[in-house]
Amino acid sequence: MLIKILLSYVIGYIRVSIEGYYIEKFINICTNKKITIWNLKRNNNIKLYFNARIEDFKEITKIAKKVKCKVKIERKKGIPFLLNRYKKRKIFAIFSAIIIVFLIVISNFIWNIDIKEENNQEIEGIYQDLIDAGLNTGMAKHKIDTKEIINKVRLKRDDIAWMGIELKGTNAIVSIVKAEEKPEIIDEQEYCSIISDKVGIITKINAQNGTANVKVGDTVTVGTPLINGWLEGKYTGIRYVHAKGEIQAKVWYTKNKFIPYNTTEKRETGNIQNNYSIKINNFEINLKKGLPKFKIYDTIETEKKISVFSDFYLPISVKRTTYKELIEEEKTYSIDEAKKLGIEELQAELDKELEEKEIVGKNINTYEKENGLEVYVTYEVLENIGTNEKIVF
Amino acid sequence: MKKRGKHRIDRLLEIPKEVYSNESKMTIIGFDEIIIENFKGILEYETYYVKIKTYIGIVSLSGNNFNLENLTNDNIKVTGKIENIEFERLVD
Repeated sequence: MLIKILLSYVIGYIRVSIEGYYIEKFINICTNKKITIWNLKRNNNIKLYFNARIEDFKEITKIAKKVKCKVKIERKKGIPFLLNRYKKRKIFAIFSAIIIVFLIVISNFIWNIDIKEENNQEIEGIYQDLIDAGLNTGMAKHKIDTKEIINKVRLKRDDIAWMGIELKGTNAIVSIVKAEEKPEIIDEQEYCSIISDKVGIITKINAQNGTANVKVGDTVTVGTPLINGWLEGKYTGIRYVHAKGEIQAKVWYTKNKFIPYNTTEKRETGNIQNNYSIKINNFEINLKKGLPKFKIYDTIETEKKISVFSDFYLPISVKRTTYKELIEEEKTYSIDEAKKLGIEELQAELDKELEEKEIVGKNINTYEKENGLEVYVTYEVLENIGTNEKIVF
Repeated sequence: MKKRGKHRIDRLLEIPKEVYSNESKMTIIGFDEIIIENFKGILEYETYYVKIKTYIGIVSLSGNNFNLENLTNDNIKVTGKIENIEFERLVD
């Protein structure tokens, strides 16, 4: 019974009031005829309010006539009445239908391509490759063959270890794992010699296989052979081998920077002006016209695609252009200040680069110029050098 | 369908009494709600007074703000502030 009542909230029910003296009789007849009425409430007068189903209303009026009661419908509730109300508003109904159809149609296309790289390693040109392989915004979902696209891209590029495409809503999520770059491995069996790949002074050389070409203290440049991949014997002649060995050299890393005495520095004042525009594909509508009133400013553009739900992107995006006001400030440095500043900056850069290497010495040079100071910072680093090179006969 | 009588099998199977006989079951929840199963009809209904006929007699409730909810063929739920419940036994 309760289910019947609950269902009638959907199917539709009416709140009826009857007025008369034989209300008890009316209720009893209703129960006998198995007409469901609920939530009966009696007014202090001779009125009774109750809920009834729509199809029972005819019967109710008959009974009410019998017991000489007046019937009045107080309220109508439920979906049938709601629909009936919208019958008159035809344009509204048409447009809501159009919107629903539009959304259904639009949800069958891809509107956003999300590229997710593992460890945020950027892979250049992957977006273009995806487009070439056949994944583009505005494509119908059922036409996209993810396997084929993955195969195409992987065939084209060799720096991808794994790739997966997931279609979620109107969103295509492309996850990529970048393959680690491997140095060219020369087979153990092949003959090779070791050549230098940096400029430096040899501090240690230890040839395990092959003949050493340089001595400790020699200066080498890029390309100088360090260990030759052959052995010379008095009786055996030249025998080619796979050169092996350890070479340590002192290498210099130099960085320089010019620091002028008088500089103009740009600083943000914190004043921001936002201009919004709506972008539909390549068609742009500016909501606010005109340039900002600042004299000097930075412009930052951000574009955000509109999504109905978290993964349901529409082909419309909101573009925000932010203008940040800047102020120019003049600064003058003395020689000492400029020197200190330059050394600090360069040392920080070098320290970051040569974090894992053994630093032997530091060397700082400054040259005074007409309107500034040229600072050179050199780090002396001990490191292993040398790469394998195939011997070509 | 429902007869007054002693069904031994029913009693043996521990079927509730109100199911196999016409005896009413009255459930009172707090002072504000009463559910009467197996009722026959409503004799009187005012906001301050409800008289319900059952197969074993008459139940009259007095109080105020009475509402009849969930009125079905044999169940009735009365809500409102009940102050007094009276029974009138039917004598065969």
